[in-house]
Amino acid sequence: MRLTPLYLKILLLSLLATITLSSFGQDDLEKALLTAPSPGHQKVTATFKSTKLINGHTNETIYKNELDFKVDHRFGDIAGSQGGIKQFFGLDNSTDIRIGFEYGISDRLSIGLARAKGATNVQQLYEGSIKYRLLEQTTDDYIPVALTLFGSNTIAAVSASEDPASAAAYHSFKDRMNYVSQLIIARKFTEGISFTLTPSYIHRNLTAFRDQNDLFALGAGARAKISKRMAVVVDYFIPFRNSADKAYLEGINGTKFYNPLGVGLEMETGGHIFHLNFTNAAAIEEMQFIPQTTSSWLKGQYRWGFSISRRFSFNKK
Amino acid sequence: MKTIYFILLISFAGLSAKAQSIAVSKNASISFFSSTVVEDIEGKSNTANSALDLKTGNIIFKVMNTSFQFKKKLMQEHFNENYMESNTYPFSEFKGKIIDPVDFNKDGNYTLSVEGTLNIHGVTKTCQSKVNLVIDKGIISAKSVFRIKIADYKIKVPSIVFKNVAESVEVRVSAVYQPKTI
Repeated sequence: MRLTPLYLKILLLSLLATITLSSFGQDDLEKALLTAPSPGHQKVTATFKSTKLINGHTNETIYKNELDFKVDHRFGDIAGSQGGIKQFFGLDNSTDIRIGFEYGISDRLSIGLARAKGATNVQQLYEGSIKYRLLEQTTDDYIPVALTLFGSNTIAAVSASEDPASAAAYHSFKDRMNYVSQLIIARKFTEGISFTLTPSYIHRNLTAFRDQNDLFALGAGARAKISKRMAVVVDYFIPFRNSADKAYLEGINGTKFYNPLGVGLEMETGGHIFHLNFTNAAAIEEMQFIPQTTSSWLKGQYRWGFSISRRFSFNKK
Repeated sequence: MKTIYFILLISFAGLSAKAQSIAVSKNASISFFSSTVVEDIEGKSNTANSALDLKTGNIIFKVMNTSFQFKKKLMQEHFNENYMESNTYPFSEFKGKIIDPVDFNKDGNYTLSVEGTLNIHGVTKTCQSKVNLVIDKGIISAKSVFRIKIADYKIKVPSIVFKNVAESVEVRVSAVYQPKTI
């Protein structure tokens, strides 16, 4: 300290004087006393607005004691050999229709029940599902991504086919069961842009001859807001097929498999969410659109689709 | 060096003397009600912060918008995402002054005028209200009720839910102050 030059002393003194002075400034002091409420690890909310993008799931679940009612519809091909003006651009046909309910057991866990028509010869589908938020993204990136688990069991109620090579050639009730497990990895990058990545595993107890009972797939999706209540949504799935089985199936009846791609417009009006979309997938259920999409965007085999969801709350606090 | 210690002492003495004239509330409650024929909406936060300068009557309230709780969780999501835009405007704040003279050292029940500026959704507006103060053995409790027009704060309600959200909402504020000690 003996070596401290005089000017340093003066500096220190004036600094202290400033502190003392400023402490008498009214608002500044009050502000300083109000330790700003520390947000801590705050959860990111509304990564997506709906539990589904177009075909695939998002990381969102239904809040506790809330019920989501959702109707999905897919029309026939807009163009191509099955489309055009004669079929009124697909509006004369509906490839799949799904009516579903989802209910929040807790803010993290929801269960669902749905009935879908089914787009292939595996029809009259009843789906039970469970969705659980394993991890939630935080605003400070303490947890950078959200993880949600989805599992479903779909039972086909259609009468058994006589054709032994058919996917509906059921011998027992067990044959009618189909399972889907997904891990949905999601991140909200900005207020308006969110992404998902969805590793999926599908098991079908009975398939068409030489189709795969077990199939892995990877899904990806995104949502970009274009206004406060409107967003563009897109999703895509890549099934990892066994090439020998794929070649056999394609050779025997000329059906080719395509990766389902959907693009759409999402509108939210506080309680209602509307989706208007185009997709080459004819089916809505995961166990069907991931392994069984045989229509191609490039052949004009894409269709109008829409979904309407309405949220009801049973909270009486 | 002695001079420095002296100044240091003086400045801290100055600080603490000042600090004791400030009363703080860390769990003030702020709630608002929107009532229409179609729907009643209520949001409530119990974690608002407030400070009151006992010498000047200056008063501040600050609340984190995401701390408002709703009966319907989806409403809470909409409140933060679409109306308050809490990501951009995380706090709502009132800065003002109790304009009627009052002796905070004297127990009693007072109704006083308070005026200042209210900052919500990035918009600052002047605001005036009555505040009810109860001073009991040095503990100060404050309560105030006022109405604000949400359009004043550039909070837009889409026409489709126009019937669900009221044009003006009633705001209720209450705080119990602890004298600040260092």
